[in-house]
Amino acid sequence: MSSEMTTTIRQEDIASVRLIIGLEIHVELSTRSKMFTRAPNPACPEFEDSPPNTLVDPLVDALPGTLPVMNRRAVEMSAKVGLALGCSIAEHAKWDRKNYAYPDLPKSYQISQYDLPLCFDGAVDIPSADGGQRRIGITRAHLEEDTGKLGHELPGGGSYAGSLVDLNRAGTPLLEIVTEPDFDCAEDVVTFARELRSLCRFLGVTEGVMQKGHMRFEPNINLVIDTNEGREYRTPVVEIKNLNSFRAVEGAIEHERTRQLEEFLETGRVMGRGMKRTRGWDDQKLVTVLQREKEDAHDYRYFPEPDLLPVEMDEAWIEAVRREIPELPIARRARYRDDYGLPEKDASSLVEDRDLCFWFEDVVTQQLEATTETSVDARQAGHEAAKLILNQLAKRANERGVLAHETGVTAAQVAQLLQLRREGTVPPQAVDRLLELAEAQPLDMGELAESNGLVVVRDEGAMEGWIEAAIESQAQAAEDVRQGKDAAVGRLVGAVMKASGGQADAKDVRARLLEKLRP
Amino acid sequence: MRDPIATATLRIMDQNDSTESAGTTLSHEDIVKVARLSRLKLDEEALEAARTDLSAILGHVARIREVDVEDVAPMPRPLDTVNRLAEDEPGPTLDRSVVLDLAPVTEGDFIAVPKVLGEGGA
Repeated sequence: MSSEMTTTIRQEDIASVRLIIGLEIHVELSTRSKMFTRAPNPACPEFEDSPPNTLVDPLVDALPGTLPVMNRRAVEMSAKVGLALGCSIAEHAKWDRKNYAYPDLPKSYQISQYDLPLCFDGAVDIPSADGGQRRIGITRAHLEEDTGKLGHELPGGGSYAGSLVDLNRAGTPLLEIVTEPDFDCAEDVVTFARELRSLCRFLGVTEGVMQKGHMRFEPNINLVIDTNEGREYRTPVVEIKNLNSFRAVEGAIEHERTRQLEEFLETGRVMGRGMKRTRGWDDQKLVTVLQREKEDAHDYRYFPEPDLLPVEMDEAWIEAVRREIPELPIARRARYRDDYGLPEKDASSLVEDRDLCFWFEDVVTQQLEATTETSVDARQAGHEAAKLILNQLAKRANERGVLAHETGVTAAQVAQLLQLRREGTVPPQAVDRLLELAEAQPLDMGELAESNGLVVVRDEGAMEGWIEAAIESQAQAAEDVRQGKDAAVGRLVGAVMKASGGQADAKDVRARLLEKLRP
Repeated sequence: MRDPIATATLRIMDQNDSTESAGTTLSHEDIVKVARLSRLKLDEEALEAARTDLSAILGHVARIREVDVEDVAPMPRPLDTVNRLAEDEPGPTLDRSVVLDLAPVTEGDFIAVPKVLGEGGA
């Protein structure tokens, strides 16, 4: 089958070792119905908790007389991802039948796209671990259908001697994205994988929940080994199947780097026809393990799918899809940095989750649209919203194990709170209490502050009285301040705050005290 | 049963054509492989019958292959129609009891099959 090429190289002969990695990514699209039939799709949140074998219709079960019809939304979602990855959209894409007899697809074949994929020739720039930008070529993105699931555990515990088939996932639209082998380190692969997940979530084409298998990564890895004598060797390519966490992607690549070098030193085997191997990742032992040999492509006996018509997307259709593409994560982060003056870390935190990001933007917009006496510009609105959301609100959210936009506080309430702070209507120490109140009550923040006694006291008479009383009770501190010891003012401020029941604005109190003692 | 085997065999022949001279006779090994890929359990007699039949079919196809189609675009189907699409609206499903009734063996809510190793083909 393959001409075995071997050579003998020792560790000390090696000048350098480079990784070459290409990535295949499977993305389950969150359409409501399946790829080629209208049975509900478990990758759609509406149906994700469906009991086993309840999302099966006659086509999924391959009953005689059924014929596939493609899902318009799945085609559009795929084109959307393709466009966002800088791909060209095929004028003419067709379907092919990939034959394999396995119980996870009752048809005994998978409908896929072999030689004419929907999207091809794209590129994405990512920030590389070496500090620069790295361009990752996108070879193609094609549509196919997912398979059912095979399990070995009986419900209620115990293992079953055979395999248990759940056909719910069979026929879920699956977008397979294939990159060029443009990566040379695990970090960049993970950066790309995260970026792609974020992008797909912004495009609204997948929920992107890794634990649920919405995105699965399959790196193709080999090494280029240069010797001191100037010779170059390439180790056989290994494909790691079905990684569903970023940590697994990183771990598998790092492990392969070591393993392939050791294997090369031992066997001297280099890349050649039929040398490609398939391995899996053992999450417990943190090693890759050899899997069943991948059947050679011709064993799948691809041929044009006779039951489906080709897809031809014209300019108008492509444009309509293009118009649905929102501002993408990379552009958003840049805008947050430039327009709101946010540090990279804060910008990334906000963009990491699509819903949080949209919620943040809602808070900004609501501030800008509010008609109040104290005007605010976009930079201030964005900056202050980010700070409040990522600090006080995130802290409260963390304690409850939710994200900042999921605490119950509405975007309008955050906008109102920021406005109240700018006006000096509520003191800084009231912010946390107000957030707590807002979590339970969707009322106007001004009203909540009012009814809970959190509004800064503007009663000049009362304030004057508290200040007088403080100067009297803390006579020594007052004298120190008169002598120019600013640090002593703290005790006086504390006394006023206490007297006001926390309703005074400490900054304002401090200014008044200094004004009074050192006129 | 014959058609899928024939289709499969054509692909095998395609592969062979590129490496060896285009033959129209399938070897015993070829037919065993095709049967295995299709998960068909055939006895020696059936294998030999399939081998003879398929070789005859391939002989016919070999003649078609002699036609010069250098400048002719492939036509995988006779229709000019494209883009038959359905709207993304969930439709009816089979009752699970129906799905399970169609399977030879079940276990709880699942279809049970003999242990299969490996990751599947997809």
